[in-house]
Amino acid sequence: MRHPSILPAVTAMVTALVLTACGASPTATGTTDTNAKDAAAAKAQAVYDRINGLTGEERHKTLVELAEKEGKLSIYTSNTDMDSLVEGFENTYKIDVSVYRGNSESVLQRVLQEQQANYFGNDFIDTNAGELNIMNKEGFFYPYQGELREAVRKEGKAEGWTASRFNAFVVGWNTTKVKPGEEPKTIEDLADPKWKGQVSMEVGDVDWFAGLYTYFLQQGKSEAEVRDLFTRIAANSKIAKGHTTQGELLSAGQFGITVSSYSHTVDKAADKGAPVSWHPASGGPVQPIIVRPNGVALMKTATSPAAAMLFIDWELTEGQKILAEAFRVGSIPGATDPFADLTVVPVPEQELLANPKKWDDLYAQILSAGQEVQ
Amino acid sequence: MSTASPVVTANRSAPLTPRRRWWPTPKLIIIIAVAGAIGYLALVPLYYLLWGTFFDASGFTLGGFATAYGDSRIGSLIGNSLWFAAGSAVLSLVVGTSLAYLNVRTDVPFKALFFAASIIPLIIPGILYTISWIFLASPDIGLINKALEPVFGPAAVDIFTIWGMIWVEGLHLSPIVFLLMVAAFRSMDPSLEESALMCGASRLQVFRKITVPLTRPAIVAAVLVMAVRSLESFEVPALLGLQNGIYVFTSRIYFVLRSYPPDLAAAGALALGLLVLAVLGVAISNLVGRAGKSFQTVTGKGFRPRPMELGKWRPVMGAAIVCYFLLTVAAPLVVLLYTSLLKFYQAPSMAALRSMSLDNYVELLGLSQAATALRNSLFLGVATATLVMAVMAIAAWITVRSRIPGRQLIDQFAFVPLVIPGLVLGLALSFVYLRSPIPIYGTIFILLIAYVTRYMPYGMRYSVTSMQQIATELEESAQVSGASWWQTFRRVLLPLLAPGLLAGWIYILVVSFRELSSSILLYSPGNEVLSILIFEQYENGQFTVLAALGVVMVLTLVVLVTVAYKLGAKVGLREN
Repeated sequence: MRHPSILPAVTAMVTALVLTACGASPTATGTTDTNAKDAAAAKAQAVYDRINGLTGEERHKTLVELAEKEGKLSIYTSNTDMDSLVEGFENTYKIDVSVYRGNSESVLQRVLQEQQANYFGNDFIDTNAGELNIMNKEGFFYPYQGELREAVRKEGKAEGWTASRFNAFVVGWNTTKVKPGEEPKTIEDLADPKWKGQVSMEVGDVDWFAGLYTYFLQQGKSEAEVRDLFTRIAANSKIAKGHTTQGELLSAGQFGITVSSYSHTVDKAADKGAPVSWHPASGGPVQPIIVRPNGVALMKTATSPAAAMLFIDWELTEGQKILAEAFRVGSIPGATDPFADLTVVPVPEQELLANPKKWDDLYAQILSAGQEVQ
Repeated sequence: MSTASPVVTANRSAPLTPRRRWWPTPKLIIIIAVAGAIGYLALVPLYYLLWGTFFDASGFTLGGFATAYGDSRIGSLIGNSLWFAAGSAVLSLVVGTSLAYLNVRTDVPFKALFFAASIIPLIIPGILYTISWIFLASPDIGLINKALEPVFGPAAVDIFTIWGMIWVEGLHLSPIVFLLMVAAFRSMDPSLEESALMCGASRLQVFRKITVPLTRPAIVAAVLVMAVRSLESFEVPALLGLQNGIYVFTSRIYFVLRSYPPDLAAAGALALGLLVLAVLGVAISNLVGRAGKSFQTVTGKGFRPRPMELGKWRPVMGAAIVCYFLLTVAAPLVVLLYTSLLKFYQAPSMAALRSMSLDNYVELLGLSQAATALRNSLFLGVATATLVMAVMAIAAWITVRSRIPGRQLIDQFAFVPLVIPGLVLGLALSFVYLRSPIPIYGTIFILLIAYVTRYMPYGMRYSVTSMQQIATELEESAQVSGASWWQTFRRVLLPLLAPGLLAGWIYILVVSFRELSSSILLYSPGNEVLSILIFEQYENGQFTVLAALGVVMVLTLVVLVTVAYKLGAKVGLREN
């Protein structure tokens, strides 16, 4: 009667194997073998320092030479316009680019997992500010310097990374549901009961909320007043999930106004002929416009550091034009600055990084309080 | 080792130590391999989940439970979740079972429509299916409401209610039940029903007293899977529930995982709640299925499933099916097709018709990774479905047939992945394979491992249900006639299990095309799959391109599934 005990024994063995394979804690940072990481970092750092120290034509020539010698580049990104950027880059330089694209959370998780395991999967990263700040805090990046960084809008010169484009949260509307002349002029207008059931808020836009909330406090409103304002807007609102769905439903007329659409979502739809806009028939758009930078960074452990730097240079020069064609707001203001003469407020990234829970909870509370009013 | 030798050993030593006869036969090796594989696949993410739930930087903690269940709205959260899950499970059960019964057991017309009606809702990605329903039944812009307005006034139906959520989710889930029940009905001897009819029972009585009790294992399995699935469903609650503040569990899991650092503890605590429900469910399903020989309808006595004549009800049923088909399959599909031809969604009008073009399909063709993604998804779908069903057929034998102590554990383990959030599975796998000496990370095989893990529970339900219908006497006679275990399994059990295995295979093939939450973390450049492409188009705001992609997916999978069905006819899924 040997075998009856075999199954539990096998299970126990497998469990034991898994447990030992996973070590003590799957969430702890890998402590062993930091040598590999140091060696990789030292090699990349030499290249970074050399290029950061050069300027003008000399910098560009050396960089192209080194990058083409490396011949390849691995990018992790959540940038939706990466395909056209890479296409232009590959047509210009003899470098093969491989792209991993996910949402900003999966990009962050992937880099965290890989770095902890000393697996250096990418050279370059392009994602949202919040995630970049977290990775910078973990010490994954090497600073990028040069004239191009100096030219970037001041909100975009972050520690450890550099903005390449901005997401602008604007108030958009359906032009058949909101007639010219009737458009909301201020955020406060959206709390007017005449918009009941016409407004839409997005369930995950905590950063937009935190930006606007802080702005109103700075304008002299009290906490209670700001909360009351948002609650009344929420009471007028239908809650949507995801900017794409929300944008498509705005075009379709499911609601008349969105409080936190991306400007490029609205512009792109309008370009296709959808009856949507964020610019009123007369006067300026609803302000302040909350902006959140998206940026690029060099990985400390890059295996193709020169190619990574060359890509940043590309994204901040030719790339800016490609981004503008996709209705994106670039980080280096060109001849036509879409934000000229507008009140623009950045998302309070450091505050969100320090107290993420507080803002998540507050926004959720406001949304549900508003819905209870209905 | 040759296959003949164990038989010889068996014959000689059987009277003395009957159990020794399969040591060290291929049987034991296979059983250990299967048990080991299931244990390994289930335990890796479970361990990761448990660790994340109970331990933080400072040691043991129950903080995750406080965050997860300490919400002031937890009462309404649980209420909504249970109501939504129960409603969807019941709806999908009624719809799936009725369709399966009519299809297999009666001479109902339009059987080809059935096939489409039963599979297409499964193929359409959840987000597209749900948004199609917004375009159909929103009180503001719904086409159905516009059509009903002259008669019933404005906003006759409202999709943004718990009933709307149940409707969409129930219909979206009904194919799982349909496939499960078709297999069950095919393996049922109709002579039992015929005898009851001869004795004067009405059709309803026969259905209630004979048909339902005989297929109880399949029904229990369906309820179990449906309930867990709807508790976990994300798209429907997010797109339909949030608008009017109907929150369910998954909205909650989404929020705790979205913030940084992702609150694995709270997500784990919520998943463990589901796990407790699932473990109870599997135990109940096995108790029910184990109740002696009562469900074993595939016996030594031959039978030929013969369709029941509906008589005067035939045209009525035909009409009902056409209506059902138009409402649940054709309508959302037409909306999808219509949207895929537009530049942006707008209600049908002359202007809209004039603006129609194939631009979205052209754009789809221009996508650099479209071909790679289709190829990878096909490979992963076929490989996952085949591997899962092969392994689960043996696992089902272990749980249902063998007397090995601890066999129930296999069933429980195989069910565990159903409650593990996709992101946690992705994190667990990347954690293990980033440290594995075998280079799996960054290849397509890590996706294969993820998919096999995720779809193991479904494969197990399909196999166990079929196994419970097969009488032990068939195996016993094979063995008495001198067949080895492996011969018996291959020559007797596999052909009899085929309808259930094929149904499971089709299901897994279809759903693996949609897997996103773990794929997105684990794929690498060159290993893109279709769901990643869908996600990218969605993120990019290309809703109409997404609709085009949905249409292409439906066409591809309908062709694939039709081929599988035709091939399946040879192994017994279809009787004609």
